[in-house]
Amino acid sequence: MSNVLWAKMHGGTTHFPIALVMASALFDLAGFLLPDNPGKTRRASFQAAGFYTIVLGALGAFGAVASGLVMSQGQLWGRGSLARHHAFLWPAFGLLIGLAVWRLVVRDRASSLGFKIYLAGSMLTAILMAATGYWGGELLLNR
Amino acid sequence: MSIETKAALLGLAAGLAVLGGTFGLSPFLQLATAAAAKEQSTNIASAATSPTLEGEARRGHSLFDHNCAHCHGDDARGDEGPSLYDLNKTDARIARIVREGIKGEMPKFGAKLNDADIQALIAYLRTLNS
Repeated sequence: MSNVLWAKMHGGTTHFPIALVMASALFDLAGFLLPDNPGKTRRASFQAAGFYTIVLGALGAFGAVASGLVMSQGQLWGRGSLARHHAFLWPAFGLLIGLAVWRLVVRDRASSLGFKIYLAGSMLTAILMAATGYWGGELLLNR
Repeated sequence: MSIETKAALLGLAAGLAVLGGTFGLSPFLQLATAAAAKEQSTNIASAATSPTLEGEARRGHSLFDHNCAHCHGDDARGDEGPSLYDLNKTDARIARIVREGIKGEMPKFGAKLNDADIQALIAYLRTLNS
């Protein structure tokens, strides 16, 4: 399969985990900050949305990483923008998988402190993913 | 041990495992793709570095290496950008694309390359025939 096709696949797959992880962090933050409604469904709904989006984001990340690795012919670091892309990608990928596994195991049994730590991790991951995407865009547009 | 602690340990292990797996598999991927790339570059080496490249085309090759190879591949056979072999475009059209770029696909080089540079680049591109 040609590199051009892999590049297109990477471009197509990579936006899903970025968007899903950001959405997950926002859903969880909303569920954490907003007051619950009388029927006690608002927070649960936000947390359910946060749960499914992080799990789908983690699954999508495998496709994005795999297509990127094939496209760059197995380069784990590189130079210039590619190095900066990878500097944010690898911590984000490890954190994302770790957080998704934590969430899958804990589900709705998280303590207040546990969920706060998770939320901080999820926002950090969203920031790292955004930076990864930014440097990926720089690779395409500014060289 | 609470469920959260167990989950944290499991999450840490999973995160490290996927990174370890990715970094462990990468050398095999590099070997596989290097073999394919070597075969491809051997085929075009004569065209790309041939001493028969003269004046303009030779300078165009150097300009290509510095400005275009990153996207179109060192051998101009395509990477993230398309292959530049057997271009079916007029010189004027190529010059305009180089100068103005293609929105969302290719950056513009008008500020970086002057007309003589672009003509040299085109001279080099015209040597790329399969």
